[in-house]
Amino acid sequence: MKNLVTEEEIAQVAKLMKIEIEDHSEHLEKVQKMLQYFDILDEANVESEKLEYVGIEMDELRDDRYTPYDKKLLKFLKTYKEKYIKAPKLS
Amino acid sequence: MTMIGLEIHCQLTKLESKLFCSCKADYREFEPNTNICPICMGIPGSLPLLNKKAVEKATLIAMALDCDTPPQIAFFRKNYFYPDLPKNFQITQLNADGYDKTSIGWEGKITVDNKKIRIRRIQLEEDPGRLIYEGATERTKVTLVDYNRAGTPLVEIVTEPDFENPHHVRNFLNILSDLLENLDVSDPGLDGAMRADANVSIEGGSKVEIKNINSFHDLEKAVHFEITRQQSLAERKIEIIQETRHWDDRRKITVSARTKEEEEEYRYHLEADVPWVNIGSKIKNELQVHMPESISIKKERYVSKYGIALQVADVLASDKYFSELFEKANNETNAKDIANMITTDIMGLLDTREKREISKLEAGHLSDLAESIRSNKITRASAKLALDEIIKNGKPLSQIMEDLNLGHISDESTLSDIIVQVLSEEGKAAKDAKQNPEIVNFLVGKVMQKTHGKADPELTLTLLKKNLGIEL
Amino acid sequence: MNLSISALDYQTSIKNGDFTVEEFISKSIEKINSVEDSLHAFLLRLNDLALEKAKEIDHKIKSNQNVGKCFGMPISVKDNICVAGYRTTCASKVLEDFIAPYTATAVDRLQSEDAIIIGKTNLDEFAMGISTEYSAYGESKNPWNTDYVPGGSSGGSAVSVSANECVASLGSDTGGSIRNPASFCSVVGLKPTYGLVSRYGLISYANSMDQIGPLTKTVEDSAFLLNIISGIDPNDNTTRDEKNQDYLKNIDVGIEGKKIGIVSEMTSSEVLSDEVLRSTKDAIKTFEGIGANCENIELPMVPYAVAAYYTITSTEAGSNLARYDNIRYGYDFDSEGFEFNSYISQARNKLGPEVKRRMILGGFVPSAGHAGKYFLKALKIKSKLISELKPIFDKFDFLISPTVPIQPFKFGEIQDPVQFMKIDYNTVTSNLTGKPAISVPYKIVNGLPIGIQIMADSFKDHSLLQAAYALEKTVELPEVPI
Repeated sequence: MKNLVTEEEIAQVAKLMKIEIEDHSEHLEKVQKMLQYFDILDEANVESEKLEYVGIEMDELRDDRYTPYDKKLLKFLKTYKEKYIKAPKLS
Repeated sequence: MTMIGLEIHCQLTKLESKLFCSCKADYREFEPNTNICPICMGIPGSLPLLNKKAVEKATLIAMALDCDTPPQIAFFRKNYFYPDLPKNFQITQLNADGYDKTSIGWEGKITVDNKKIRIRRIQLEEDPGRLIYEGATERTKVTLVDYNRAGTPLVEIVTEPDFENPHHVRNFLNILSDLLENLDVSDPGLDGAMRADANVSIEGGSKVEIKNINSFHDLEKAVHFEITRQQSLAERKIEIIQETRHWDDRRKITVSARTKEEEEEYRYHLEADVPWVNIGSKIKNELQVHMPESISIKKERYVSKYGIALQVADVLASDKYFSELFEKANNETNAKDIANMITTDIMGLLDTREKREISKLEAGHLSDLAESIRSNKITRASAKLALDEIIKNGKPLSQIMEDLNLGHISDESTLSDIIVQVLSEEGKAAKDAKQNPEIVNFLVGKVMQKTHGKADPELTLTLLKKNLGIEL
Repeated sequence: MNLSISALDYQTSIKNGDFTVEEFISKSIEKINSVEDSLHAFLLRLNDLALEKAKEIDHKIKSNQNVGKCFGMPISVKDNICVAGYRTTCASKVLEDFIAPYTATAVDRLQSEDAIIIGKTNLDEFAMGISTEYSAYGESKNPWNTDYVPGGSSGGSAVSVSANECVASLGSDTGGSIRNPASFCSVVGLKPTYGLVSRYGLISYANSMDQIGPLTKTVEDSAFLLNIISGIDPNDNTTRDEKNQDYLKNIDVGIEGKKIGIVSEMTSSEVLSDEVLRSTKDAIKTFEGIGANCENIELPMVPYAVAAYYTITSTEAGSNLARYDNIRYGYDFDSEGFEFNSYISQARNKLGPEVKRRMILGGFVPSAGHAGKYFLKALKIKSKLISELKPIFDKFDFLISPTVPIQPFKFGEIQDPVQFMKIDYNTVTSNLTGKPAISVPYKIVNGLPIGIQIMADSFKDHSLLQAAYALEKTVELPEVPI
């Protein structure tokens, strides 16, 4: 019998991800089902598989040059006194 | 046995642009939120573009600290929510499960006070923005964010807990600062360019992390405080809890940080927008070839090539600004003189970055001065005055000597005339001098005064004694 | 002037002077206005701008100036792709007021060739879905039968092309999001090799797999658009050099003698509905009829691919969507008086239910205690799938399967989350491996479309288009009933 993820664990993760889930039961059930489906991953027998990645060469990277962004980005953002970004109070 | 480890964050201030975008790496002169672009602001749809020079400079640091560098490097996301993080994750490096070593440097070492300090890891990462608080009271305080700094390239250097005492730590930080400056990767004197956290444990007990330390001076204090705190707990047989503490700058103590920190879950995973980068041996060899001469080699060179005293060479080689001045000014024959002039007089006059920035002193001035002293055109005392002026206005030495009347009087007849004058003015002293040799010095001083320091002191003494009929 | 015209035929007609750009755009706008109430393909219509641009281009043509290859053809863009100065919502309430400060490279390249962006199309919120039912601004409807879903997540894009509201569309595909709606709406949908098309300006869902691609009426049109939008972009370090391919060149060369692998795991009777199975068998015969050699092959990792896909994409999505805290941009909701954590949670409460579930999964599967069991294993399956395909593509030129195991379904019909995930069964393999795949309209059964999927090896997009063209030539389909 596979262990189902508990409501508590889901609530914890939701808090970590800054997600409010008032209607616990709908999400709980669906998330549990999805995680249960993911158990199939265990059957793939891929433990010994090595992860390999193709790298690019250094000269494909961006040159170190200062180029000011030519548009007033602040216009597109929520600003405070047209200078700052306001954040909610930190506890 | 006390064990102290450090986590140092060093901004690569010598770069032109940020780690993943073309905004300026040095954000200090900008109005809030004007050194930003879609990339460093994490605007939806933007993608990070890794700075080639940042990788090169970080590799240089890794090599200078004797680290292994991997054939490929990769970047990871450290996910957490905080207002200074535009994307609510930081792009950093890490050794995550399932991946081989992917950060820029591993298992290096550096010697401090004859002890080997092991470097665990060096990684490249981006700096977050800065929080500013506005408002008079706790209640009216508003949290404001300035993202100018977000994306500034950082190198994080993590050491093993090999330090034994706060003094040891301090020396390491000084050596590291000099090293980074010498490599031309960072200007550690810039505000906020180098930050460090520490971890402390005594007698193999629990490790306590100390964060929120704002200067190296504070770091030494914080470590010292923490050792004392732990020792006092141990004495009373109270358990030392493994935790994170913050340095309270006002009260000069460490305080327990909220345990929220321990609960952080960062869900590290590969940053798929930044490809893996091959760091081949060809690159490393090129960097090695162009790597600036290390401080210790420079010191050796100063001693062996120029015959400079070890202590002087030590001080001079460790300081990039003055060692560069020395290299430009000296012509081998006057090397010792220049070196001494720098370490004895100039370092004291230009002891802060601000003073160095506005100083008009150039290498040419130094060589002129050295030459003039050697050929007796100017006394050492006058040279000091001249230096002061040169620093202020940068005028050529000849001009300043004229302006301030600093010529060296070594002509016997001129001096004799002045001596006669002084002796007639100081009749009593002249009489007493024959009995009391100390008074002779007083008279020499008077001659110096009358000549504005231009009189050659040795010659003056000789002539005075002659005049007074004192044995030489 | 027929709005069902292909992009290339439109190009010819404009050059011949059969009609003006303004005439065509006006008619398109009329069409949009008449069908949108029932189809809802668009979240934003740019009618006035389009007409203005149309007049400009007509003037350029008249005065013999250089005109871009697109000659003013109306193209729609999925609303997770940025167009400067306009709202880009990703069909989410959290980006209700987000105005893009810049234009995506792919769109920019089209505009440089004088394409006219006629509007932003509907999608499943943040591209997470297979039916466009999860749009926060209402669903789009399948023009073949409006009781049925158009597929997703690029549902609006597929509808706009299928209903002839525009000539072509740019969508995005992470697990099948171009191909699935293309299949459901009977249009061509191409997911290029990962790295062929710049993602700059595509709002990330799962950035190791997201790709922008065209939805068009014909295979040639897809090649035509790919020529314009593909290529290295200095703004996207994950783009790779495709050595200046012309995807239209020799597109009609045929597939005589080519070897085609039939992916048995994707074509078995357990996985497919009866109609789709029948059409698949028919397609195999068709391929053989035009000279290809078809053979069954096995990809043992395929049954794990869906779970691996959702594990990886949830993780990446959980990270990519973290920035939506409504502090720097988003929608109107003042943070005054709120504490940090509670404000963010409340602000993100506007995320839809499917997105919320992915966020939770994405927080769970890579977390310290669980990464080994889920996330790392998924990465290893991805890796093994790639190595499984190496010898296969050494031997075979293409792999085929039906694009979606089932035909379009009714709204609300699929509620079970596992059944939902399995809709992607045939499409996720090419996303996990980065390889190109295309859906070609093949049949209409019971009034509903079925598409056939062809896959090729990485950067073999040119050959892929040739195979798709060859298949398309054998197909004769009715006109869309709307």
